[in-house]
Amino acid sequence: MQAKRNNKATISYEELTPGYEFPPASYELSSSLISKYLKAVDSSGDEFVPPLAIAAYAMAAMAGSLSLPPGSIHAAQEFEFFKLVPIGATIDCQAKVARKLTRGELHMLVLELNVFDQDREKVQSGKATIVLPA
Amino acid sequence: MLAEIYQGKILPSVIKHVTQEKINLYAEASGDFNPIHVDESFAAQTPLGGTIAHGMLILAYVSEMMTLAFGQSWLSRGKLSVRFKAPARSGDVVAVTSKIDSIENKNGVSYANCSLECHNQENEVIVIGKAVVELVEGES
Repeated sequence: MQAKRNNKATISYEELTPGYEFPPASYELSSSLISKYLKAVDSSGDEFVPPLAIAAYAMAAMAGSLSLPPGSIHAAQEFEFFKLVPIGATIDCQAKVARKLTRGELHMLVLELNVFDQDREKVQSGKATIVLPA
Repeated sequence: MLAEIYQGKILPSVIKHVTQEKINLYAEASGDFNPIHVDESFAAQTPLGGTIAHGMLILAYVSEMMTLAFGQSWLSRGKLSVRFKAPARSGDVVAVTSKIDSIENKNGVSYANCSLECHNQENEVIVIGKAVVELVEGES
């Protein structure tokens, strides 16, 4: 999977601050990319891109610029979908740090994701809560 | 389609067998090669004791169930909020279940409010959450 990013530098958890915006990335949701995704999730598709595929690529775009400790896990997730996205569309992904939380020895990161199509219309938004290993 | 949507309806469940091969395929498709998912020796030394499936892989199963139930209404006007309660592991059989708790009307627009859950073959809850779908007549 290849994303076009404006900046390839990575940032660590310690360097992140609430409001930090990750470099935006764009993807072409080609039929081959979606076929690979559908095979991985053991599902069949139609002419529209599964919204969770879009979410996966949006998160990958962010992860490409973020260096988290190995073993970080997903604790919670929210999504809202706004429009159908046809296969072949190009999406732009934007992500930022909403919150950094510490509870005892646990460190958590809340990230906000927004995805737009080539007409600059929002197709999806989301919020991911990641727990870092103690 | 709206006639098939009613309060109390149990949505058809989706059942998936999680394997390390599928986890690896998801890592390749998503670009998420966190060793907790793909490196057995690393994962064995963590408190989790072994590799676990990507949370987003399990959510793909949730979205598949919602797509089967609500079609394009889910794809274009769905909302999902979940918490991961336990990991899914290679060898698990994950069942996604959901019920329409209520149908709500706001300003002439109908919404289906659903509770959902993913559990494994031991009936351990893996994911718990809620989904809301804006319903539009004629869409499927």
